[in-house]
Amino acid sequence: MTGADLLLLALGAVAVGAGLLVVTTRHLVRAGLYLVVCLAAVAGLYLVLTAELVAWVQVLIYVGAVVVLLLFAVMLTRAPIGASDDLDRPGWPAALVGGGAGLGLAVLLVDAFRWSTVELPEAGTAERLGAIVFGSWVLPFELLSVLLLAALIGAIVLSRPEIGASPEEERR
Amino acid sequence: MSEGGHGQGLVKGLAVTLKTMVRPAQTQQYPDVAPELPPRSRGVIALLEENCTVCMLCARECPDWCIYIDSHKEEVVVPGAARPRQRNVLDRFDIDFSLCMYCGICVEVCPFDALYWSPEFEYSEYDIRDLLHDKQHLGQWMATVPPPPAHDPHGEASKEETTAARRAAAPGAARGAPAGPAVRRERPARPAPEPGGAEA
Amino acid sequence: MPLWLELTLRIAAVVGAFLTLPLIVGQTEHKVMAHMQGRLGPMYAGGFHGWAQLIADGLKFVQKEDITPRAADRPVFRLAPVVALLPYLLVLLVIPLGPGDLVAQPLDIGLFFVLAVVGVGVVAVLMSAWASANKYSLLGGLRAAAQLLGYELPLVLSAASVAMAAGTLSLSGIVEAWQPWWLLWQAPAMAVFFVAGLAEIRRPPFDMPVADSELVFGYMTEYTGLRFAFFLLAEYVGIVVIAALTTVLFLGGWQGPFGDAHLGWLWTLLKVFAVAFVVIWLRVSYPRLREDQLQRLCWLVLVPVSLGQLVLTAAVRVAL
Repeated sequence: MTGADLLLLALGAVAVGAGLLVVTTRHLVRAGLYLVVCLAAVAGLYLVLTAELVAWVQVLIYVGAVVVLLLFAVMLTRAPIGASDDLDRPGWPAALVGGGAGLGLAVLLVDAFRWSTVELPEAGTAERLGAIVFGSWVLPFELLSVLLLAALIGAIVLSRPEIGASPEEERR
Repeated sequence: MSEGGHGQGLVKGLAVTLKTMVRPAQTQQYPDVAPELPPRSRGVIALLEENCTVCMLCARECPDWCIYIDSHKEEVVVPGAARPRQRNVLDRFDIDFSLCMYCGICVEVCPFDALYWSPEFEYSEYDIRDLLHDKQHLGQWMATVPPPPAHDPHGEASKEETTAARRAAAPGAARGAPAGPAVRRERPARPAPEPGGAEA
Repeated sequence: MPLWLELTLRIAAVVGAFLTLPLIVGQTEHKVMAHMQGRLGPMYAGGFHGWAQLIADGLKFVQKEDITPRAADRPVFRLAPVVALLPYLLVLLVIPLGPGDLVAQPLDIGLFFVLAVVGVGVVAVLMSAWASANKYSLLGGLRAAAQLLGYELPLVLSAASVAMAAGTLSLSGIVEAWQPWWLLWQAPAMAVFFVAGLAEIRRPPFDMPVADSELVFGYMTEYTGLRFAFFLLAEYVGIVVIAALTTVLFLGGWQGPFGDAHLGWLWTLLKVFAVAFVVIWLRVSYPRLREDQLQRLCWLVLVPVSLGQLVLTAAVRVAL
């Protein structure tokens, strides 16, 4: 058991614990804040696995933007300070699905690798990542870009109904 | 959005602040450095008690009634005179500087130059009641009153001087001059009803 | 030198910079702002021209009562100032002061690290805004979130431009690759980065989240004492960080007219303070933008300009 293993375990525990808190807490906004902790712990996992760039992308995109948007949206609603007692949706189906999926994946992975050890690949620096993304994975990368662009345009069209409307409709 | 106009304004704003920065500041370090006030600035009103005749003009003209005057009559026996003269003695002369608005009307109207402007202004108090200055306090301010300015050599001669000169030139004409005697005649007339008022 | 000693020294140096540079910037702001407004500024604390004013302020903040509103979400409310301060401390770790090893923690992807960590600050703003149980705080927090989300885009894009030009994400690498003519070539990116950086640290004229004439004091309304001081300190460290980043990315960091090898740290500090001065200058000169003008500036001016700069940078890189 090396220091890195210990760190991995600890960060994993933090991530899982925070994730559990996200779904069990009755404080709406705190759920979002627990999500920050969870995602930061995942970023920490990436760091331990020497995938520096991915770790900081995780922080930049998920902590800095996605969760902020989420919190933003929650605060626009009437999120109370303190517990909301009307959060009474039955949790067990979700627990079943989530727990089942997690357990299944864990079993699958454990069964697949057993005790075989894999050498850590060389550090995930920006240079190496760039070479890979724009080398062997350039097609999926470009496809993803097009997908995101389509989503962007779709969002604009949806949020502005006057685009594409006929002049009569526009006048109304 | 006219970009050119915007840019110009932005640059101008920066220029103004930068120019102000390199100029000396306007701040006066007041308690450390005494302010440079004009010599006749209106700080506080001083009382020259000997000049006051308790004519009450100041108290009556004061717009916010902040001058309080009490007095009593005193008979003065003048040797050789037919009957003793009456004289007003000032008992109390207070100015409440918590009310005073520094208009200076009292100083203006005082016919006997008993009130003066002093440039002294540092007389703030912790208790508002201490802003009521009695006649001793007002008298102390007299020391700070600047001497009257010298007469302008090119200006008109003072009234006293012209009157004296005129009298000296034509003794007969003095009686006909309206300014001097008219005032004289009126002045005894004014205190006349006062005994009645004071006794009532 | 043993590793632990070196590590301790480096961290001590960063903490020292963290504690002194913001104070210097804050005092400069006091004085510069005062003189730009024809005043003198603090004159008493410490004797000579009020040099100890901020220390006195700090002492005052320490003595004040630490109030947490009854309706507030206590743990979140109390944690927010720390979350606001911590990212900037981390950023200071990777900013190179001089050539060679004069950086607390050289990082291969320093630029990315900086941008990611600075982005975390907005979480602190949202935490404080929501946990204060105050409608002004909440409004300030929402404004801040909208502003920070919007301005992160031009910030990252303009930083990406200079990273592309230098061909590296390492801050030291960018400084090494920098050449004086980049001042011209990367000028739009520099302007965008600086303006977006100002908005990112919520400095006037981009201080709508704290707009005191509209929102009392925005998300900091309910804070007192030491916690409020933490927020203020975060603002001034923010100035240092944005000035340092502008210096490192666009002004050539430690490259000076002479003696780069030995005087590099001096050039860096000089440039940082020059940029900090401009930050203060802008604060004094310009009125606060309106909320819609803020978003308009971001999406209709800064983002297109930074995208155009990206295209230009890419074209020049390919051509060279």
